[in-house]
Amino acid sequence: MSAPAAKLEVSGLQKRFGGLTAVRDVSFSVHAGEILGLIGPNGSGKSTVMKSILGVERPDAGSVRVDAREVAGWPPHRIAQLGVGMVFQHSRPLHRQTVLENILLGLLPDRLLDLLPRAAANARARAIAERVGLTGVLNRRPATLPFADLRKIEIAKAIARDPQVVLIDEPFAGLTARETASFAKLITEMRDDGRAVLIVDHNVKSMSALVDRVYAMNVGEKIAEGTVAEVMANETVRKVYLGGALTTAARPEAAFADAQTPFLEIENLSVVYDKAQALEGVSLHVHEGEFVAVVGLNGAGKTTLFNAVSGLVPYAGDIRRQGKPLRGRTAAMIAREGIVQSPEGRELFGLMTVGENLDMGGHGLGDKERGERREWLFNLFPILKERQRQTAATLSGGEQQMLTIARALMMKPDLLILDEPTLGLAPVVMEQISKALERLRQTTEITVLLGEQNVTFALPHADRVYVLEHGRIVWEGDPSRFAAEAGAMYL
Amino acid sequence: MLFWQILIDGFAISSLYALGATGFTLIFGVTGVLNLSHGAIMVAAAVAAWAASGNFGAGAYVGAVFGVVVALLLALATYYLIVRRLQLSRAVREEEKEIFILTATLLWGIMIQEAIAYLFTNNAKTVLPIVDGVVTILGVRTPANEIFTAFVCWATIGALWLFVNRTLAGKAVLAASMNPRGVTLLGIELSTVYVGVWAIYGALAGVAGVLLGMFLGVSSYSAGPLTASAFSIVVLGGLGSVSGSLIAAYVVGYLETLTAYLISPAYRAIPALLLLVAVMYVRPRGLLGRR
Amino acid sequence: MLRRALVSPPVLISLIVVLLAATLPLYVSGYVLGLLTIAYYFGVFSMAWDLLFGFANEVNFGPSFLIGLGAYTAGILDNLYQPPIALCIAAGVLASMIGGLVLALPALRVRGPYFGLTTLVAVLMLQNFVVVAASLTGGEIGLTIPDVISIDDKVNYWIALGFMAVSGAILYGLTRSPVGLILQASGQDPVQAGALGFNVTKHKLAAFLVSAFFSGLAGALMAFYLGTASVGTFIDVTVGVQVIIGAVLGGRRTILGAVLGAVFLVALGETLRPLGDLATFIVSAVALIVVLFFPAGLLGMVKGAREAT
Repeated sequence: MSAPAAKLEVSGLQKRFGGLTAVRDVSFSVHAGEILGLIGPNGSGKSTVMKSILGVERPDAGSVRVDAREVAGWPPHRIAQLGVGMVFQHSRPLHRQTVLENILLGLLPDRLLDLLPRAAANARARAIAERVGLTGVLNRRPATLPFADLRKIEIAKAIARDPQVVLIDEPFAGLTARETASFAKLITEMRDDGRAVLIVDHNVKSMSALVDRVYAMNVGEKIAEGTVAEVMANETVRKVYLGGALTTAARPEAAFADAQTPFLEIENLSVVYDKAQALEGVSLHVHEGEFVAVVGLNGAGKTTLFNAVSGLVPYAGDIRRQGKPLRGRTAAMIAREGIVQSPEGRELFGLMTVGENLDMGGHGLGDKERGERREWLFNLFPILKERQRQTAATLSGGEQQMLTIARALMMKPDLLILDEPTLGLAPVVMEQISKALERLRQTTEITVLLGEQNVTFALPHADRVYVLEHGRIVWEGDPSRFAAEAGAMYL
Repeated sequence: MLFWQILIDGFAISSLYALGATGFTLIFGVTGVLNLSHGAIMVAAAVAAWAASGNFGAGAYVGAVFGVVVALLLALATYYLIVRRLQLSRAVREEEKEIFILTATLLWGIMIQEAIAYLFTNNAKTVLPIVDGVVTILGVRTPANEIFTAFVCWATIGALWLFVNRTLAGKAVLAASMNPRGVTLLGIELSTVYVGVWAIYGALAGVAGVLLGMFLGVSSYSAGPLTASAFSIVVLGGLGSVSGSLIAAYVVGYLETLTAYLISPAYRAIPALLLLVAVMYVRPRGLLGRR
Repeated sequence: MLRRALVSPPVLISLIVVLLAATLPLYVSGYVLGLLTIAYYFGVFSMAWDLLFGFANEVNFGPSFLIGLGAYTAGILDNLYQPPIALCIAAGVLASMIGGLVLALPALRVRGPYFGLTTLVAVLMLQNFVVVAASLTGGEIGLTIPDVISIDDKVNYWIALGFMAVSGAILYGLTRSPVGLILQASGQDPVQAGALGFNVTKHKLAAFLVSAFFSGLAGALMAFYLGTASVGTFIDVTVGVQVIIGAVLGGRRTILGAVLGAVFLVALGETLRPLGDLATFIVSAVALIVVLFFPAGLLGMVKGAREAT
């Protein structure tokens, strides 16, 4: 007797955005009563796969079948009506409605003439609320609720839809250990109800106890498939997440002169963002001339950390530069005074040329010095010299990233903060940037704080490594010991 | 003969529209604000110039400068009292800020308009022109004032272009219209840029207003239609695109002039509106719009 | 739950206020009644606007487009053929609903400020059309409407009050119903609404049509009350602003607050009329102060205070 057909079947999925192939030939299936984990670092294409299943994106090729029906290209509401439910990564309750009303929304049919409130729907909403543990706050509004309750509302809405297939995006981000356990229980209950569950997340660790199988992606393609153990042992997966055999060139801390008062000191930093604790009790320091890497997956809090240093988000705790607190200085002041960011979003002036972008970076310099500095940067990034009259928006991803770094360097920074410089770049380009960083390290006395999820790229440059996970520093030490000591929690 | 007349008249009117629209689109492009008190500020400049040069006998030049200064002050007041207050307000949710700013600037415009009507009556006024007399171009007798108007409009637009493309401050403004976060990251205070932009806007609206006052005259009733035509042009050309506004200003200006001459002055606003509707349906971004 | 919705404080208070208002003709002058009649029609305008803005999250910057269509269609029809008044009003409502459809189509395609601009453009178009087609519409002077529903102040007042009360009940009920919940989701978070299986386009379109229905109906009724229709009373941008301010003043997303705001504005405008030109200035200034300092509006502040406790 043949196995029952899969509830969700994705085959040969392909999606391109302009010249970039986000997803190439992805195929997997999820059966009723099964949990599949879809993992991949940022830029791996897993979000595009999710959006293709939900109908938010239309795949260029391949098929998406729900209960044997082809749904690729259908509008989202029709796919939802067929029985596909979604638990979003970020809680998005209706703020003006009570918890009960939010859950009720999941129970309503898509009718224009539903004018009378129904007792049955109400009762069912209460039952669902009880199942997820929201009975006490049914009549409260989301703004007054803690983070975990907001996540419960999301899962309650999904349960209310009674879906055959459930997609869950990063279910445990921002939850404590206890909350994670109760959430995991709700997810297994959904599986036991006979639904097909697809969990999407960055790494295996968060879902290892939960999933039956894992499908791992990187750069738009599959790199491994199998049980948790199989995937975690897979060579390619280990290389992507932990880096392969790496040569490190770390200088010991004692080599730096400012041992007493490090150039940058961060003490007990906490940032709350949209209710979630983005950073909690983070402490780290960077010596003058040192190259420190902060390693962590997407969503760990690296960007928030850097934004706090740059004065772009409010925070609790202390951030000191050469002993003097940065609190109270405007973001522009902090940048002018020598702490410059090359941000994750690049923030280039798209319609200005490469040369003009660089000149904007050098706005504080005299004409001669600006010209000299430009030449030096063209030397560091030769491709920029070639493209100097081209507008920034027409550059490739790698060229834009190099321009972002070069523009930041035009400001003659004392501390350069690099936020995910290799995101979405091809290996060849990563190599070029890596070489430029190496030259920078050897020919100047610049201090660098690098935030990366790509360990292979970050470790060879670093003198010291911090690991940031869910807003907390969980490991600090020498890069050569990283794979041995921190690897397990990373994968 | 008629052809040349239409060409010249259309050019003068279009130049005036272009200047007014440039200011309007500059503010939108850099700060994201659709300033519905635009027309009122222009009228205020014209009436101030009229009062100074005529009533208080300060002469045409001084009156004109006074008018521009008044517009500058009103623009800064609009920024500080209204726009900035609402942008920083925590009582209004992000998604709603736009409509609140729209409504507030509209009310502010009405207040200015009514204040003018109260202080100076709502009769039409013509500002004392700086240039007098009539010249003959291509066989058409044209008031020298008309030539002067077109000239000053283009000189002002040219000065703006030089500013934006050749000075650091101007480039900072341009950069802010593309990526405000990027500007901050490079150590330039955004708040300073914004104040500068509103001041420039005030000057542009002031010059446009004073010239309009000299060319065609204004009354407090002109405020609404002036705002309407400015944003029609800006939408047509593409919100946030200065070159788009310039082109659109000439399209609208000539459409209006042609209609007024060949069909009837009463219908002059219609073709431009029809064009606007067509654009809204077919290409809401406008000719060269970015946002 | 239906029973609880029916006896909730807002409904009870509104009921009491309406009953009290119904007794006004017994002891108040004809002048005040006339004022309130206009205010009630504006109340409906503002409520219809609040439905679109507060719930579907669509900023209609030219509500006077829909209102004007209703008023003028009804008036022109009456002027030309003198059919029964009910027919004229029905025609006005139909015209307004078609107008609502016309506005909805670009709205569902464009983002951000573009929709607001579309609505403003629609008002300008209508205004220009009315002025240009003066033989049909009376141009800038205005249209005279030969029939009136009644010449008695009291009757007109009761008609307006009754209409407003019924409209308010329907609109308020709509927003508290399941369909209202879906509409709010469609407005606040269309992506999620789609993921929950709701056809957002369908619901927003319906909201436009409902808003147009009430705007057109109120416009037509008001035209028959006034006996004239002119650009200044029905189409001008300032009319639209008054409608919007009324809703914002009263408290957006409350429906009922819109009536408060409308009445307050009309009363304020009347009280200040002796000041002439300064009156508009002061009304605008007051409205601006509310927008800047009390954006939650009257009812909004009350609701906020209640929720905090």
